[in-house]
Amino acid sequence: MKAFLTLTILLVALISTYAASAWSLPKQILGVQLDPLPALMLVVSLRAPIATIAILAIFASLTQSALSSNPLGLSLLPLYALGFTIHINTHSLSHYHTGSRFALGAGAGAIIPLMSLALLLLINKEPLIGWFSLWQWSAGILSSGLMALIFFPLIEWLDKSVEEQPLAAPFDTTTRIIRHHHFHE
Amino acid sequence: MNRRPYLVATAVVALLGLVCFTISPESSAQAKRVFGSFYTPLFSAQKTAQTTSDYLANQVVPRRTLLKENIELKRQNEILELKLGELSNLSHENRVLRQQLKIQPKPEWKPRLSRIVGRDPSNWWRSIQIDIGSSDGVKIDIPVMANGGLIGRIQETYQHRSRVALLGDPVCRISATIAETKESGVLSSNGGTIFDPTLAELLYLPVSTKARAGDKIYTSGFGEVFPRGIHIGKILAVETATGELTTKASVKLAVNPSLLNEVWVLMP
Repeated sequence: MKAFLTLTILLVALISTYAASAWSLPKQILGVQLDPLPALMLVVSLRAPIATIAILAIFASLTQSALSSNPLGLSLLPLYALGFTIHINTHSLSHYHTGSRFALGAGAGAIIPLMSLALLLLINKEPLIGWFSLWQWSAGILSSGLMALIFFPLIEWLDKSVEEQPLAAPFDTTTRIIRHHHFHE
Repeated sequence: MNRRPYLVATAVVALLGLVCFTISPESSAQAKRVFGSFYTPLFSAQKTAQTTSDYLANQVVPRRTLLKENIELKRQNEILELKLGELSNLSHENRVLRQQLKIQPKPEWKPRLSRIVGRDPSNWWRSIQIDIGSSDGVKIDIPVMANGGLIGRIQETYQHRSRVALLGDPVCRISATIAETKESGVLSSNGGTIFDPTLAELLYLPVSTKARAGDKIYTSGFGEVFPRGIHIGKILAVETATGELTTKASVKLAVNPSLLNEVWVLMP
């Protein structure tokens, strides 16, 4: 069932990346392209095992770069680093309130673009950056916080939906007679 | 805590990351094609939805509006046919003169309409995805136009879609000529491009340039990637700096690609 959950998460990553690319309204109004992956990775890393986190980082970064001029798998290392760090600190992170969920999502949205930009510059690429990039970064932080508020209940619901349910017993279990052992001395 | 899954996952990701950054551009493009195929059902669904919505929108347009539009289009068609006849004569004359002067004939381009189906998901680049690809005859470096102005070139092709690098993208530098002065430079992005997608920079103009604000810019045809004479935009200001060997000018592009839904691909 965990494999099915992983597949569902990958599907969510694929659809959300595609939707962000096809939906041009934020770009037209705010001049910003939204990235749903930091928020998704945040939510997944708080609930899923490390294997799922690694698979999501690999699949999401490779499929995202297929729609972009980015080098292949640019966001692989940033996404995995984020997922890994959050996963090993799951117990010390509060994520049950709206405010903390938003803050965590915003934090994820702040870190991923910075790490991606550092990687781009490290491999001698010339991305389009200017003062307006600060606005794009700020808007990305806000949108990532908001997307976290959507992904938290979505992934929780998916997790519960694919949770292993006990098989129905072939007999009535409402009344059970527990017979005590009789010890004969 | 069992550390083994963590070590294995980290090692796999690190190895894959290393492969991604050291892979050749050809293999990278091939891998992008493979991973891009995951989106095929989504692109198909989007195309079907758009076709259906177009059909439904056409169904609800009143007959009177359609008739009025039809009459208007017929008038426009007559005017365009007259202009076409005139241009055909000029084209024939041009071909004959080129033959007499032994100048190589100009290649003819066949414009093909395509729909924009996506934009670059990152803020670092300016590119769009269109719904025609290598199966439709699209090739890398083919020019893409809209509303009578150049907007970019084909950067990558897939079977049923292509990616267009827009003017102002760091990877889309083109040679351009100022119509009034005949001086040429290289059109490139600047810091303002990210704020306003219609802003760019014309580099490597002569120091003694006569270019002025308002001068029109066209493709130069150098490098034979773009045909000569496609409208690009106009000069906003010439920025002369003392001690520099060249001058640059800020440029306002003719077309804002952020507002487009369809583009013309100039098929060879």
